[in-house]
Amino acid sequence: MAEAEEQQQPQPAAPQSGGRSDGGEEAAEGGAAAGAAEPGPTAAGSPGTEEPAGDAKKKIDVLLKAVGDTPIMKTKKWAVERTRTIQGLVDFIKKFLKLMASEQLFIYVNQSFAPSPDQEVGTLYECFGSDGKLVLHYCKTQAWG
Amino acid sequence: MTDDKDVLRDVWFGRIPTCFTLYQDEITEREAEPYYLLLPRISYLTLVTDKVKKHFQKVMRQEEVSEIWFEYEGTPLKWHYPIGLLFDLHASNTALPWSITVHFKNFPEKDLLHCHSKDVIEAHFMACIKEADALKHKSQVINEMQKKDHKQLWMGLQNDKFEQFWAINRKLMEYPPEDNGFRYIPFRIYQATTERPFIQKLFRPIASGGQLHTLGDLLKDVCPSAVTPEGDLRFFMHCTRCNVFPQNLSLRQRTSEESQKGRRN
Repeated sequence: MAEAEEQQQPQPAAPQSGGRSDGGEEAAEGGAAAGAAEPGPTAAGSPGTEEPAGDAKKKIDVLLKAVGDTPIMKTKKWAVERTRTIQGLVDFIKKFLKLMASEQLFIYVNQSFAPSPDQEVGTLYECFGSDGKLVLHYCKTQAWG
Repeated sequence: MTDDKDVLRDVWFGRIPTCFTLYQDEITEREAEPYYLLLPRISYLTLVTDKVKKHFQKVMRQEEVSEIWFEYEGTPLKWHYPIGLLFDLHASNTALPWSITVHFKNFPEKDLLHCHSKDVIEAHFMACIKEADALKHKSQVINEMQKKDHKQLWMGLQNDKFEQFWAINRKLMEYPPEDNGFRYIPFRIYQATTERPFIQKLFRPIASGGQLHTLGDLLKDVCPSAVTPEGDLRFFMHCTRCNVFPQNLSLRQRTSEESQKGRRN
């Protein structure tokens, strides 16, 4: 999946392989909110860090879908490091949507369960990904309990 | 699964004798005595330690108390891991009782999730149940249940009521042979020796030839370093919801809602 650097990122993303975004949906690095507040192990991916070898190196595609009247992300498709946690993704979406840190954001897999904030997206992709991507629904209120 | 009632009961009623001691730097108005408790392996620290909290808060000033958290030999204990898992991962080699240190200050944000109420624990527990059923039955069984059934599962756990819990859980553990049983086995393998949080992958209960997969098959597939070339286990397997068991038993017999975990011996 080609990656392009997203202009409004507060900091440059980790080293990129491609440069061009695909057709309609733009794919970009989803790692803006670096891991200071994240529970659990995290790669953070700060500029210049060497990426771990093997599967952990590859990013996975995440498709973010808004639920109800939650604001829709302008860019829905992101290439995310496997070790990025759900909490990291939540922080990133909140920043992107300019939500307040105190506002709640719920993330759902399969429109059925909310994974733990410290769960890694790579593991979720392994178990619940389809068609080469992990679809996650996000919502400001509890949607599926 | 439900004909293994003895095993289910052994798992449910597993206990770890624990000694809670207040962290030495906490400010108290008088000496804090340690507090002893038998912890249920299958439960969560923040669900079963109300008495511990009350005991230590009695000797502290209100302003010195914020969110409780637990630590073992410098490692903050993740309340959202089952107690049995925490013990097997961190302390199984040491003598009983398990010594846990209690803190009321300096919550380690990087290591622990917050747990401001029992609702948080319930939400986490139900999410685990749902994730497991997504793997087992494509969420069909959990979704067909009524809200009151979900509540009964939680209340069963919270109130330590085996029959109440299993009245509902047996439906989640149903393994209809005509549907080839579970679609995938819900498992997690924890190792004390790695940085990875746990191993969780898709794994079918039945091999392509039609035979039942065993625990040994699972380990060879997802955690090959755990198995010697001869096929022996390199380390002990502890099942959160089961006892230690030989690896040639079929996975279907030895799997439950949450997971298995292993550690280097």
